[in-house]
Order: sequence, then C-alpha cells, then structure tokens
Amino acid sequence: MKKYTLTAVSIVSIAASLLWLFGLGWTLQDQFTANEKVEKPREKTESASTEKQDDKLTIVALGDSLTRGTGDADGKGYTGYLTDRLKEKTEQEINLLNSAVKGETSRGLLKQLQQREIQRQAKQADVIVMTIGGNDLFQQGAALESLDMNTINSKRQLYLSNVKKIYTQLRDLNKDAAIYHVGLYNPFSNLPDAKTTSSIVRDWNFQSAETAAEYEDIVYVPTFDLFQLQVESYLYTDQFHPNTEGYKLIAERVASLINFEQEEDES
Amino acid sequence: MSQSPALEVENLTKRIKGKQIIKGVSFTLFPGEVFGFLGPNGAGKTTTIRMIVGLISPTSGTIKIGGRNVRTDFTEAMRHLGCIVENPELYPFLTGWENLEHFAKMDPSIPKSRLQEVITLVGLSNRIHDRVSTYSLGMRQRLGIAQALLGRPKVLILDEPTNGLDPAGIREMREFIRQLAREENLSVLVSSHLLSEIQLMCDRVAIISKGSVIRTDSVQNLLAEQERVIWKAEPLPLAKQLLSEETEVTEGADGTLITLYNEPLLPDWNEKLVKGGVKVKEMRTQLPSLEDLFLEVTGGESID
Amino acid sequence: MINLVRNEMLKLLRKKRLYVIVLIIAFLVPLFTYAQFKEIQDQREKLGNQDWRTVLQQEITDTQNRLSSSRIQDEWRKYLKIRLSQQQYYLENDIDPRAPGAPTFMRIFVENSIDLLLPLLVMVIVADLVSSEASGGTIKLLLTRPVKRWRILLSKYLAMLLSVSFIVLSVAVLSYGISGVVFGYGGWNMPLLTGFSVSGDELITDNVHIVPQWQYILMEFGLVWYVCVIVGTLTFMLSVLLRSTAAVMGIMLASLIAGAILANMVSSWESAKYFFMVNLNLTNYVSGMATPIEGMSLGFSMSVLAVWGIAGFIIAFVTFSKRDIY
Repeated sequence: MKKYTLTAVSIVSIAASLLWLFGLGWTLQDQFTANEKVEKPREKTESASTEKQDDKLTIVALGDSLTRGTGDADGKGYTGYLTDRLKEKTEQEINLLNSAVKGETSRGLLKQLQQREIQRQAKQADVIVMTIGGNDLFQQGAALESLDMNTINSKRQLYLSNVKKIYTQLRDLNKDAAIYHVGLYNPFSNLPDAKTTSSIVRDWNFQSAETAAEYEDIVYVPTFDLFQLQVESYLYTDQFHPNTEGYKLIAERVASLINFEQEEDES
Repeated sequence: MSQSPALEVENLTKRIKGKQIIKGVSFTLFPGEVFGFLGPNGAGKTTTIRMIVGLISPTSGTIKIGGRNVRTDFTEAMRHLGCIVENPELYPFLTGWENLEHFAKMDPSIPKSRLQEVITLVGLSNRIHDRVSTYSLGMRQRLGIAQALLGRPKVLILDEPTNGLDPAGIREMREFIRQLAREENLSVLVSSHLLSEIQLMCDRVAIISKGSVIRTDSVQNLLAEQERVIWKAEPLPLAKQLLSEETEVTEGADGTLITLYNEPLLPDWNEKLVKGGVKVKEMRTQLPSLEDLFLEVTGGESID
Repeated sequence: MINLVRNEMLKLLRKKRLYVIVLIIAFLVPLFTYAQFKEIQDQREKLGNQDWRTVLQQEITDTQNRLSSSRIQDEWRKYLKIRLSQQQYYLENDIDPRAPGAPTFMRIFVENSIDLLLPLLVMVIVADLVSSEASGGTIKLLLTRPVKRWRILLSKYLAMLLSVSFIVLSVAVLSYGISGVVFGYGGWNMPLLTGFSVSGDELITDNVHIVPQWQYILMEFGLVWYVCVIVGTLTFMLSVLLRSTAAVMGIMLASLIAGAILANMVSSWESAKYFFMVNLNLTNYVSGMATPIEGMSLGFSMSVLAVWGIAGFIIAFVTFSKRDIY
C-alpha cells in the first residue's frame, strides 16, 4: 500500500512536470510569436441581450458627479433615493445602472455613449436620468471661471451642440424610454456675485430646456428653485455638491415626474 | 599477513584555514584484523576517518580501499567500504527496513536478498518494520552496522562504536566485531578514546596524538615491551641496591620493587639477590594497562 | 538514478510535508471560493442585475471615477488606466473575463498566488531537502555510498522538481474540484484575450489575440511552474549552503515578502528589476497588467529568473561536491 502511494505520486508528478513544461513552452510560443489580430470571437460568452429584462424596471443613470452621488453621506445620490422612492411606490423590482463619472462634461458623455456596453444599457432602459453640463459651466466646483459673457456664451454653444447629439444618440438607441435631464442649480447663490451667477445658470437652464423640448419625451427637470433659498443647508461641505438632504430633494422631484402606469403600458 | 592490504593510508595531511590538523598519517589494514585507532578527543581521529570515507577531502596523501584510490576512483573504493561515522544517524521517519532498502538501492550491486541476511546477522528481525524513531540506541547501533555491511565491504570503519552503549551492549558489540573479523575476514577499523576497549577488541593499534601517529604496533608487542616484574623482598633497601646494579629499579606501592621484564636475565638477578642475603618472597610479571602505555608514549599527555 | 530519485521521493513522502501542503491548499481553496462567491453575490445584490456586462461596466465607471480624483498616486493611476483600457477591450469584444466557473476560479487563484503563496509552499517542501540531511547527520551515510556526490544532489534536485510539479498539480486539481461545487465545472472553452503589452501607461493591443480558457490556464500554470521551479532552485541552493532548515526558510521568507513589498514601491528604483523576487508575477504579463518597473516584460522577467536559477543551481552543485562534511 505504501509502496503503491510512492509509485502513484511519482508517476503523477512526472506527468504533471511534462504537462507544465508543455504549458510553459506554449506560453513562450504564444507570447513571443506574432499572432494575427483578434478576430471577433467565434464563440460568444452569452449573446448580449438587448431585450428589456422582463418585468423589471431599468433605470439607466448617466452624467457627472451629481448622478454619481458625490457629497451624499451614503453615497447613493439622487439616483439611489429615486430608486428607493420608486420601489416604495410601485412595489416593483428596480434595476439601477449608474454609469456616471465624476467630472464628466457633455463632450465626455458623448464619447462614453459610443461604448458598446453603454449603448446596450441605454437600449434596455425604461427610464434614463442624467445630469450633464455642470462641469461645462463651472470649473471643477470652484467657481465660475469667469463672468465674461463671451466666454460663457461660447461654452454654452459648445455644450448645447453636444447635448443635442447626446439626445439624438439616446433617442436613436431607445425610442421609448423617458429621459429626465436634471438641470443645474446655482451653488453660489449666497455669494457676492449671486445675481450674475444666478442669471447665468438660469439662462443655461433655459436654453437646455428649449433644446430638450425639441425631442419627444425628454424632460428637463428644474432644480434651480430647490436650492434657491436655503442653499447652505442643502450643500455638502465642498459648497458645491448637494448633501444628503439636497439629493433627496432632487430625487423627490424626479420621482414625482415618473409615471409608471404609462411606462408599463408602453413596454 | 601476506595478503594484500584492505586499507592503505599513506602520508595523509589536512590543513584547515592554514592550520595543520593532520600531519602525515600512514597505516595499513589487512584482511581479518581489527585495527584500533586510539587517541584523546581532538587528536584527529574523526578527521582522519572522515577523510578515509570520503566526507572530507585530504590536503595531500593517498587512501586506498581494496586497492582503489578514494580520490580518483571514489565509486569503486566506496563499494568496499562500510562505515558508521560517529552516531548511527538513520532516518527516524522511515522503518528499519526502509532505511536499509534506501541505502541498498544506492548500490546496484547489492541484491535484494542481502537485506534479510544483514538483518539476521545483527538480530533485528523482530523490529525491522518499525519506525527507527521508536528504536533504542543499541538497536540503532545494530541497524547502523547492518547498513554498513550491506555491500559486503572489505573494510568496516566504526567511529566510537560503543559510545553511549550500556556495559552489556558494549560487550555484545565487542564480540560482534571480533566475530565479523574472524568469520567474514573483514578488516575493521575502530576508533576510540577508551583504551580498555581497544585493548580488548583489537589486534593492532595506532596511537594518534595531535594529528600524527606516534606508534603503530600489535597490541601484543606493545604490551610485552612494557611488561614488568614486581618483586617482594626483604630487606627492601638491600634488594633495591643489588638490583639497581643490574637494571633500572623503581619503588612500587606497599613495599615492592618494579623492574623491566627481561626473560634471559631474570634468573641471574634472582640468584644475585639470594646470594646477597635477600629473601625473595614474591616475583611476578605484570601487563600494564594501555592507560600506562599511553602515558608512556605520549609523554604524559592527558587522555580526556 | 531512478533508484536515487525514488529514495528521495520516499523520504519526501514519509516526512509528510507533501500531505501538509496539500492540506493547506485544500483548506485555502474553499476559503477563497467563499470569498469569490461572496463577491459575486455582493455585486449581484448591489446591481440587482446578473449581466456581467453591467458588472464590468460598473467597474469601468468606478475606475473612471477613481481616476478623476486628484489625490490619486501616479503609480496607481497608471495601473488603473491600463486596467480600464483592458476592461473596455473585453467589453468591446463581448468577452467576460470573469464568467463564473471553476476554470475561471482556478485562473484567478493562480494569478493571485503566483508571487507569494505558491513560492511559500514550494519553499516549505524544499527548504529541508538537503539541510535536514546535514542537521540530522544522515548525510554521512548518504555520501559514503558508491555514488558520486553530484548524482546524489541531482537526485534530490529531480525530486524537488517532481514535488513542485505535484504541488502545482494539487493547486490545479483542488481549486478546480472544490470551487466547481459552487461555480460549476464548465467554462473551459470561454475565450480570453492575451498578448497585451504595456508601454508607459498605454496598453498596446497589437498582439492581442484570443485563446480558449483551457489554453490560457495551461499557459498560466506553465508560468507558475516555472516560477516555482526557480524559487525551488534558490531554496535548494540555500538548503545546500546552510545546515539549519529554519535559516533557509527565514531567508527565503524574507526575500519573498520583500519582493511582494518591493513590487509595490520600486517603480523609481530601476535596477531593482534585477532582483528575482520582483519578477515573480509572470502571469501579469499574460493578462496584461502594469509592470512594477518600467522596461519589464515577460521575456525580461523570465531571463532574470533563469539567470538566478542557473546561478543557484551551479552554486549548489559546486559547493556540494567540494564541501567537507564535519
């Protein structure tokens, strides 16, 4: 019996040595000789389903730090509270796909929308929520870069053309989903230049809303008024991003706009 | 002893870090004899033995086992050698049998049947399939000898073979070694710092001290040379005076005189004493112990 | 020679070290399986969606978010960027690099254990291969046989190679067998990308190609085996040089752990790339991860390891055949 173990272990070890040696040789051959460029995989892991997933409601969130939830103590952001709210309301499973990236500008989002997976998600969405533009207008949350109207105008032109493309792209991908574009508030409304900044933000929002109106089922959700009066109590310590309370306010507002019966009827 | 020597050591030296540890050791072993290697600890016995068995390479000199040079023809030389250097350190996690099998496998000329032979020879048949870690020292010693005998060696080298054995074990070992030499015509090299052991076990002995052999001879010769006559006579001063005219006399304990043993002259000395009016009460020969001998040849160097 | 190797294998087995190693692996694998399982479950819970694309996309988004933070270290940023482009590449090609399944677990497990866990296990086996004979005194009986010393050492070296292969095999078998209970045993044919190379913080995809997972795993195990053999050779050398097994283990342990630490912080000390221990992570080159130091590549690391290994081998054999045994 003991003899047998010895022989068995030895034979297994020898076989293993040969196997690993072969693997090593294969690695060398594989890694050090040029291989033809990757063709599309013959065998897919799983056919990418672009179908909406059965009875679940899918919310796709896109955009910048606001959608990501920067500043929220729980890290949920308005998308998180929105989802919670909707779950309560509908007693339905809700699937939140948050692909927002901190610091994203309209240009960045447009680029992100070229990615296959983001496109696939957008196709699946029942509802799309997004925030974009904040980083086009404000400089990394510090302040308005300059109050010079010319600069701001050219920024806005650029932004609006990007937003148009984003809307178009989203509509191309998904004809049915309602898109909620959450607007800007003025985080500086209690600072000396409040008058000027507020007018700039209002103007920005107005133009965005106009653009949104050109598309079907794209809702530009105002938040300016939410933060207008008690801006301090709704801002995070960076004086730029909303805090938990602020996010809850935004979530409330978006939640009140989403009409499920209609969504479900459509699907 | 006209046979060709089993082991020849010629002018062996070893230098370690500029220090001469072994200074030209030479000796020869013949088949069937037990050769004692005697010296105090640190005299260079173990170093010499390790050079013979190939564990240490000598600085100069040649070692031939069965006519084969250990340095140039290691494999063949080792075929003729069996040894235990210091303690018989075997693998405690293997059984006695596995230990022997392990060593037997290292020499393809050893047939499988040899294992059973050596086991019977050392009398370990009962416990051979037990782990060595459960063996007593005596059993390990016997297993050590069994592994040394596996290859039917011409030369058996045992470094301090009785170390740590009880008196019964020592006697058993001694008889066993003599028996091997007698029946298998083996040359056995036994090192020891215990003189009594060598005296009882060996045919010939080399006395080593401070890295060189100071004397090699048969035990018989060495002893005979040092044989004494003890005289008991009255009156003592007169006897001493008379004897000292003929030979060297020392005064022993409890009123005795000691002279060298010189067979042809002994009757004359006796006659002289009697004629001179001395009453010789007792006259006997005495063999000295190797202890005395050692003190004699090394000039009083202590043994331990 | 076969007899000698057989002897060495017998001693190895009787010392029970191999069993202990197998037991350690058998104990660790369920641990990692559970951790992996938890992670997948956690992700599912968080996302409420089972599609791997979504998970991967989520990771990409997370990475992007981390990248946008200004407090991030350059090192880490570089790593993340490479990771990011790789993840995107996978997504673009519709390949799930982590489709759950025992083969995937196997792959992730070896990728993570190649630089520390496996070398440690190998070290435990090899450390006392020669030194225990010296400290136990059995070397005196071993070397007074009619066998040349280099042959005895070679038989030990071969036994070392065999046991390394055995350990790597046990890792393969155990990780497959145990994790399969949870993840299922399928997934051998899943396509994976390899051939990424990194230059600066760019990911070069010129040579990227697809291999089925079984080949990918076989390749990675080949590399793991290579690393283990080199670590084994170096441990073997120390085992020849030192009488004390504890000292051998101590030195190897220190250098392996130092390697794991160094790999994370030596990017500016360029000549550190010639240490064997920062070159252990060979599988990273296959999966296309950032290298700890600029200018390292699979070829480079394998050559560095080979040089160390050969040097160790020569030192071991020269000392062993010349050395006086007291």
